[in-house]
Amino acid sequence: MKSPVHKPPRLGVYLLRLIYDEELFNDVYGDLYEIFIDRIEEKGKFLANVLFLIDALLSTRNYNLNKRPKTMNADLISMFKAYTKGTLRSFSKNKVYTILNISGLALGIAACLFILQYVSYERSYDRFHANYENLYRVRYQIFRGGELKIDCAAAVPRVGPFMEEKMPEVKAFARVYPYSDVVTNGDIKFRENSIHMTDPSFLKMFSFPLISGNVEDALTDPNTVVISEKVARKYFGDEDPMGKTLKIGESTIFKITGLAAEVPENSHFKFDLLVSYETLNNQTRQDDGTAASETAWGWYDFNTYVLLEPGVDPLEFDRKFKEVLWEERGEDFEKFNFEACFPLQPIGDIHLYSNLLQESLPDEQGDGKAVSFLTIIAFFILLIAWINYINLSTARSAERASEVGVRKTLGATRKNLIYQFLTESFILNLISLIFGIVIVIAGIGYFNKLTQSHLDLSFVSDPYFWLGIVIILFVGSLISGLYPAFVLSSFNPVSVLKGKFSSKQAGQFLRRALVVFQFAASVTLIASTLIVYQQLNHMRNLDLGFDLTETMVVKGPDIFSEDSLFVSTKETFINELLENHLIDKATTGSNVPGDEIFWTNGIKRVNESEDKFQTIYNVGVDYSYFDTYDIDFAAGRNYGREFKTDTGAVILNEAAVKSLGFENPTAAIDQKVTFWGRPKTIVGVVKDYHQMSAKATIAPIAFPLALRSSSFITLKLSGNDFQSVFAEVQKTYEEFFPGNPFEYFFLDDFFNRQYRNDYKFSRVFTLFAGFAIFVACLGLFGLSSFNALKRTKEIGVRKVLGASILSIVRLLTKEFLILVLISNIIAWPVIYLIMNTWLDNFAERIPIGITTFIIAGVIVLIVSLVTVSYKTVATAKSNPVKAIRYE
Amino acid sequence: MKGDYLGEFEELVLLMVASLPENAYAVSVKKEIKQVAGRNVNISAVHSALYRLEQKGFLSSHLGGASARRGGKSKRLFEVTSAGMELLRIAKDLREQIWKNIPQLSFVS
Repeated sequence: MKSPVHKPPRLGVYLLRLIYDEELFNDVYGDLYEIFIDRIEEKGKFLANVLFLIDALLSTRNYNLNKRPKTMNADLISMFKAYTKGTLRSFSKNKVYTILNISGLALGIAACLFILQYVSYERSYDRFHANYENLYRVRYQIFRGGELKIDCAAAVPRVGPFMEEKMPEVKAFARVYPYSDVVTNGDIKFRENSIHMTDPSFLKMFSFPLISGNVEDALTDPNTVVISEKVARKYFGDEDPMGKTLKIGESTIFKITGLAAEVPENSHFKFDLLVSYETLNNQTRQDDGTAASETAWGWYDFNTYVLLEPGVDPLEFDRKFKEVLWEERGEDFEKFNFEACFPLQPIGDIHLYSNLLQESLPDEQGDGKAVSFLTIIAFFILLIAWINYINLSTARSAERASEVGVRKTLGATRKNLIYQFLTESFILNLISLIFGIVIVIAGIGYFNKLTQSHLDLSFVSDPYFWLGIVIILFVGSLISGLYPAFVLSSFNPVSVLKGKFSSKQAGQFLRRALVVFQFAASVTLIASTLIVYQQLNHMRNLDLGFDLTETMVVKGPDIFSEDSLFVSTKETFINELLENHLIDKATTGSNVPGDEIFWTNGIKRVNESEDKFQTIYNVGVDYSYFDTYDIDFAAGRNYGREFKTDTGAVILNEAAVKSLGFENPTAAIDQKVTFWGRPKTIVGVVKDYHQMSAKATIAPIAFPLALRSSSFITLKLSGNDFQSVFAEVQKTYEEFFPGNPFEYFFLDDFFNRQYRNDYKFSRVFTLFAGFAIFVACLGLFGLSSFNALKRTKEIGVRKVLGASILSIVRLLTKEFLILVLISNIIAWPVIYLIMNTWLDNFAERIPIGITTFIIAGVIVLIVSLVTVSYKTVATAKSNPVKAIRYE
Repeated sequence: MKGDYLGEFEELVLLMVASLPENAYAVSVKKEIKQVAGRNVNISAVHSALYRLEQKGFLSSHLGGASARRGGKSKRLFEVTSAGMELLRIAKDLREQIWKNIPQLSFVS
């Protein structure tokens, strides 16, 4: 009987194929098929099919009879264990290289972390405000004839309320009017320099929490003040200041309605006392009942902030507002030929990217470009460290070659070897990472001191930090390990074990290229550091146009009983001081160099039309101001008591004269200008001097004779005996101006504090340039010592043939010198480009001289020579017999 | 052979293989179990036991002839190894030992 060929259900067969691998499938399928056929005979086709399927389904539990998966799992783990053992073994065999590698990497990682911490801190300013995303500062710009004449961080009082009225996108506004005054509580009296008059909405818009007091109404009533914890302690000790009073100024009593927590360090705006804005309104109330501090469009001393609805585009807002503004102010704009603009600045941009006039804390402004620059340096350093690893690993390839040969002979595949070397790289990176983090934690105090930053260890608890670390670990292991892994695993075991292997060819070119890169980076860093240092020096030593040495400045009295007697009292005071032989000259003025001038008004030539008014800065002076500061005249004369007409006279600086259109200073003498609403004759023109830092351009300044001006009393000392002078000045001051706290400073310190940030940047920069070079040298040391080792035989032979130590050293170092030369050639144009951009920040900048490049190149040359020759000299001096015997 | 204890089913399968010399494979074992013990076991259970026993070293196998009856696939035949035989003997002796100690029943094995 011929049995027809029955086919079992295809689904079942398919399932079986899935479950079992080939061998098992054949067995199992055969069995199942046999039963299937039997069943067809016994139970019929249908049941046979069904039961076949059931059997197939039930077979799924036998999946683990298959041989492969189990063994693979066991392999991976033991593989990793074996590789780790191998790695540790190779580490201890070559302790020197391992230490070099680890230190280089650890340093690189530490440097990178420091910089990134610093950068993230600089970027974190003002982020603590809940409304951070939607807070903007209103910038004030004046254009005249299409040119931007004034770019200021402080706007006018009217613009805040005007924006809220006319623009639906504005949820709230707040103005801040900074000033300083004497604060008294009984006997405790100090001059406070951080007093701000603010709208009540300020505390609601910004996140400056109040320890006591209500944010809603703490600043609503006039003559109320919110004080910081520091101020509370100063005036009230441990007592609760709430509800108590402080006297601010000569006579006004303020009630304390709030106690504010200390403002965090990373805020562009800091305060000690917040006074209610209504107080200012009362002070500036005019006859018609309105207050200038609410209605003025031209008084720009008010830092104005607005809170916009979420999602509003600030540029779109600026565009819209410009139209609205023109409707209101267009007439005045056209009449006086100027235009005022009020663009918005997101508060996040203020710390790093804003360098306008009248910033809240100009000395604390950061430099966004410098910060970005530093970030790049951070990664450079890390890159250099990884390059070191690659170089050292490939250089050592000869030693590992026999190991590789043996492994391959014993059956290791190329893949195995690659994994082995990657594991090695991973472990090395891991150890270095740990050391790097330890260095950062241990050294953060020192770093803070050196760079005057305020970094803390909070990053340890930041999950993003650890995420970044893990990424660096894996990326770093891959980058630094992949190339050596490929190179090392490619060795032919036969030729290696035979000894035919010549390690010369293994990655020679790449190694050289990497060394050149490291050197180029080092040269760049050294040259840049030099240029930064030079520029700073230049600014410091710049002929500022006035003399700031040996000059002591005393803050003038705010509180004085009889206003009309002030001028004569002041003159007597000065005359008495001048009797001291140590005090050469003395003067008073409304401003000193180094202090930003806020006092401005308009000036034009008498015969020009109304629309030609320009803004000019004012420094009120007395008869001896220019003499005391040693400021020269370009034309004309100083004010003099003998000139009775001097009440109608004015002195300008060269910049002012130029901006008014005079050909030269002499041409301006005896010309008339409209100034303070009246015609005045120009009697003298002083040479330009740097009121602000050398970074700023010199502004036009007028020096009206203002004997009542008493903000600063400047004393030019002759000699260095500060102690005795100080005591006497203080005594005399307190005699003449009782009730005023004695405050003083030295002009050179004061003026140079403007450069504080630049010095900080220079310090940080130098520190990390040093880091990078050190790491590069570590790598170079490793490479050169390895090189010397390899050529031991050759050196031995040469010595035997009569070569001197010197010629051998020359031979070995020649290779490196060429590399240094090439790296210089590459680096110089890069340096030029980068530093030129940075120097353009400064109004007064140095030219980049060729000497800088040469010095940098020579330094790198010397350093590399020393590093290389250290090992090569040792090798050259060694016994040639031993060298030749070396196998 | 410490620690190699067989499960009940595995022991059964092992015995079956021993009792079917030259012709022990999954299907025959399954049929034999049905016949002798009256148990309906699924073929996959038999497979599981057979291959496990082989992995433990108590069975060895070789491929027998292919036939159309098996859809062209060859048959995997199992034999008991000496280790397997030893294991069965030990198990048997152990049972008898314990049986001897049972007071009421006095079987002579």
